[in-house]
Amino acid sequence: MTPKLGAYAGLAALALLAALATRRPELVVVAAPFALAAAIGLLLARRPSLDAEVELSAERKLEGNEVDVRVALVAAVGAERVEVLLQLPRQLFMQDGKNPVQVRLADGERRELTYRLRCERWGAYRVGRVYVRTHDWFGLFRRELVLDRRVPLKVYPSEESVRNLLRPLETQVFAGNHVARQKGEGIEFADLRPFVPGDRIRHVNWRASARRGELWINEHHAERNADVVILLDSFAEARRGERSTLDPALRAAGTLAARYLREKDRVGFVTFGGILNWLLPTTGAVQLYRIVDAMLDTQIVLSYAWRDISTVPRRTLPPQALVLALTPLIDDRSEAALLDLRGRGFDLVVIEISPLSLLPEPSGEAGELADRLLRLHREAVRGRFERAGIPVAVWGDETSLAAALEEVSAYRRRARAASA
Amino acid sequence: MTTAAAALIAAAAVVAYSDVSSERLPAVVGSVGAAGGALMAFALATRWRSVFPFGLALVGASYAVFLGVRNGAVDEWAPAVAAALFVAAELGFWSLERSPSRSEGAVLLRRIAGIAAGAIVTALVGSLVLVVATGASGGVGLEAAGVAAAVLAVAAIARLASRASV
Repeated sequence: MTPKLGAYAGLAALALLAALATRRPELVVVAAPFALAAAIGLLLARRPSLDAEVELSAERKLEGNEVDVRVALVAAVGAERVEVLLQLPRQLFMQDGKNPVQVRLADGERRELTYRLRCERWGAYRVGRVYVRTHDWFGLFRRELVLDRRVPLKVYPSEESVRNLLRPLETQVFAGNHVARQKGEGIEFADLRPFVPGDRIRHVNWRASARRGELWINEHHAERNADVVILLDSFAEARRGERSTLDPALRAAGTLAARYLREKDRVGFVTFGGILNWLLPTTGAVQLYRIVDAMLDTQIVLSYAWRDISTVPRRTLPPQALVLALTPLIDDRSEAALLDLRGRGFDLVVIEISPLSLLPEPSGEAGELADRLLRLHREAVRGRFERAGIPVAVWGDETSLAAALEEVSAYRRRARAASA
Repeated sequence: MTTAAAALIAAAAVVAYSDVSSERLPAVVGSVGAAGGALMAFALATRWRSVFPFGLALVGASYAVFLGVRNGAVDEWAPAVAAALFVAAELGFWSLERSPSRSEGAVLLRRIAGIAAGAIVTALVGSLVLVVATGASGGVGLEAAGVAAAVLAVAAIARLASRASV
């Protein structure tokens, strides 16, 4: 019941009493519409019966994409005015459609409301809680109900552009797209050797054979797959408003997982932080979905517990795997774990998600000193990694992920040349 | 905003009519009406829902004062005054609805048409009541019937309201 009913009843009563007191029929006329509206509204009052169905145009979308939501309202008993509010997570922006909206629903009527949403940020959402408020003709009664018809919507992080992937130092035994050190079937030339019975004629190097007077055979490098483990540091993040170091880290993880899986590599995923989460390395498109679903569950959970790399299950980090660590390098535990991992002989690459652009401008002498100390500390950490033979690529606002990976490739080429 | 302005205009029309037509004590009529209008404006500006009916009642009171100081003749403009007060009340309560939702065009049109129809019905019913009231001769019996009808009307509304709120 709204205050309007009380007001109308009161106004009618006052006017009627005044009419009696002053003996003026005009005041009965003034009272009449209020009394009639209240009486008719009360006589016609009934409880609306509504239901809703919610449908999404897609269950999975990429960051920045749009998704259509269809809300179908079904009224067994309708109402003169129905306010409909579709509750939306903050990260889903209403692109097209009125929300909230006021419609009329007759008895037995079915109305469809469509909304177009833009997925602003990655995440796993549930869309479809509808708040409904009904009003009768005179606005004397208001009823509210919540129709919870939520359906899942997964918004995956958008992809970064990467031209060349990092080549692992070691390959595995299955066929793939990486040129292995071992000799075998492949197209990359490796060496020449004298012919032995059983060699295929098509492998004979006729020019070398003619020069040496005996048959010589071309040897090739085998093409094998590799094990790649993407290790996401979730101990801590730097955040400023809606921007966080976790977002680019997840975008990079998704991009790298998709690209390595396309190269027929086995890809695993480890979230290393307050909550430990892992996926064993395997191949195929299903693994990509598993990884991105695991990524959506990733969150920064504050924890003071010291956690080292031995807590990660052994099978998650297969020997000779290329480990790509995505970290903002702001927690000592992740630094220690990465050095430990390198000490155990893993082919480790650190992609540093720079948090510096998220920091406020230093103000005052103390602020500038703190800023300098922070930068020096980060350089010292990088230095420790490089001394341990871990290439570090800094990925920030000024550089692209592709450029950061190229930097690592160049570092590894230089290291190989130096060791040779 | 538009509905609030329209409600104030309708109320102002009632006050202006009462003040201009009043032959005695126009200052009192005008003051009561102005106080009512100011209270309505305050309630609409601050969205103070419970204050709005008091403003409306004061505007109605200014008309009642005008009728009280008037000579015996029936005011033939009473149906129009009642319609204006009803429109002011409907538009005022509409503007006090705290709803951020945007109405569909059809819903908006139906609501405006409903208020207009309410005003016309008010005028028609009011005219009928006036015709009946002026045609009837006075007497203790009729007066008792009037009192009983008024009490019954208020009691019926109160009864229906209590039943609806359960």
